[in-house]
Amino acid sequence: MFSGLLAELVQNLKKLPGIGSKSAQRLAMYLISMEKVNALELAESIQNTVKNYKNCSVCNMLTENNPCHFCSDYTRNQNQLCIVENTQDIYLIEDTNEFKGRYFVLNNLLSPLDGIGSDEINFPKLLELLKSDGIDEIILALNPSAEGESTISFLASQFEELKVKVTRLSTGLPFGGDIEYTSSLTLGNALKRRYSVKD
Amino acid sequence: MEISLLKLQNYRNFAELELIFEPEGALIHGKNGIGKTNLLEAISYFAFGKSFRTKHDIDLINFSKAFFRLEANFTINGKQFVFEASADKNIKQIKIDETNISKTSELFQYLKIVYFSPQDIRIISGPPAERRRFFDLAISQYSFNYLQLLRKYYRILKQRNALLKSKFNNLEKKTWDEQFIDIACQVIEFRLDYLKKFIPLLTDTYSQISNNHEELDVKYKFSFANFYGENLKDNLRNHLEETEKSEIESLRSLSGPHLDDIQFSFDLHPARSFGSQGQQRSLVIAARLVQANLISKKAKDTPILMFDDVLADLDKERALSIIHLLKKKHQIFIATPNVKNYEGFHLQNINLEELV
Ligand SMILES: [Zn+2]
Repeated sequence: MFSGLLAELVQNLKKLPGIGSKSAQRLAMYLISMEKVNALELAESIQNTVKNYKNCSVCNMLTENNPCHFCSDYTRNQNQLCIVENTQDIYLIEDTNEFKGRYFVLNNLLSPLDGIGSDEINFPKLLELLKSDGIDEIILALNPSAEGESTISFLASQFEELKVKVTRLSTGLPFGGDIEYTSSLTLGNALKRRYSVKD
Repeated sequence: MEISLLKLQNYRNFAELELIFEPEGALIHGKNGIGKTNLLEAISYFAFGKSFRTKHDIDLINFSKAFFRLEANFTINGKQFVFEASADKNIKQIKIDETNISKTSELFQYLKIVYFSPQDIRIISGPPAERRRFFDLAISQYSFNYLQLLRKYYRILKQRNALLKSKFNNLEKKTWDEQFIDIACQVIEFRLDYLKKFIPLLTDTYSQISNNHEELDVKYKFSFANFYGENLKDNLRNHLEETEKSEIESLRSLSGPHLDDIQFSFDLHPARSFGSQGQQRSLVIAARLVQANLISKKAKDTPILMFDDVLADLDKERALSIIHLLKKKHQIFIATPNVKNYEGFHLQNINLEELV
């Protein structure tokens, strides 16, 4: 069994998604036996990136610069706002080339099981953003899971008085199966075929 | 659908075993405890992604070993597939043609098996949960959309119950309620649609396999006041409004498809309490046969049928004629300790006592 520093490293690696005990041990062994320069470069790179990434003060996405390069890029369409669950979703949507507007990251979906209500989904901050700018379409790009659907209908009901168009992604599935928009082709199509939440 | 080859490794009482099956199926015999049900369980693992007896894969591993592994060749809609399943105490893997599946529920789209269990009588005599489980599984095999919908419903139910336990704000409650109502009603519509097809077939099948002439009736029993002719969603919404106080007091959802029942009755008396054992046993075999029949109608391929020592409940002549009819369409597995009871069935004989 591993002990001391190595055991600690294994424990830390296990915190990564998809890494179980065996993989963590294998990775740890690899790290201590690889070229020291390379391993230290990796450690430094992790440290720098993690230290320097924070939530954008406008849209919440994880970014190196504040405000992020989406929020400070005025060539982007300022009339469309796409609401997503997390930063990773922004990159998925960027890959589709179907959207050139602004983003807002909720970081959470409504989930009583996890103690997450409307305050925890950054809703006040979102309202602030909506007040200041001339947005005429809000796209709710959330997964059609139980939590996603509830968040969509909660936000949609809150936007009613704003007189903006509120749309959601097409699921392509009649019963809103719990799919994730994984390939950029499906996500691109879902964006293209977005529809008004009111329908 | 049929299975032609099954390999077991460290599965329950089987250290290592390889079996080749004929297209018509097999009669699996041997004394009690020899592993007949284990064998049926292993085959059906590929239909459900788990055992029909336990939720825990670890229970399936031979007690002295660290993992189990199953492999089977199936023909589904004329196409051949190799299915593999393995689990140790940390990880479980299921592959179809060497590709990992991501969710066990995917299996429902491939292989359909109807397992006639000696415990099936509880579908009639047991509590409502047993009937819901029977219909939920049958409808999931019939329509994959239902399985996805049902999962979503139970997720929302869990969320809604958590909400009722918390200091919620009314706006959020309304959001969850509307979602709950929407998905609950879709689940109910699915069940009602299925019952429309199920009930006439059940009446026919029951009269074929039983000597009795009582009038059979099946009714969907709502856990909320559902006024006929009125909109289902409105009915549930009104009921939730009226019962809001008691839901908040009891901290959980008190109505919805998770509490509905499907009531069987003989001559207008609940079969659960009034049916004789014989009537109940015939009825439940009829229900399983209809489950298989509806899958065949929809899937364009027939499910594999497994009879775990349940045919002994029927009149022998009748059981024989039923099996002869079914054998023409389905691959059939029969497990029994008394091979003599099944003389004349003309199925491949597998004597487990010689193999284990
Ligand atoms: Zn930003």
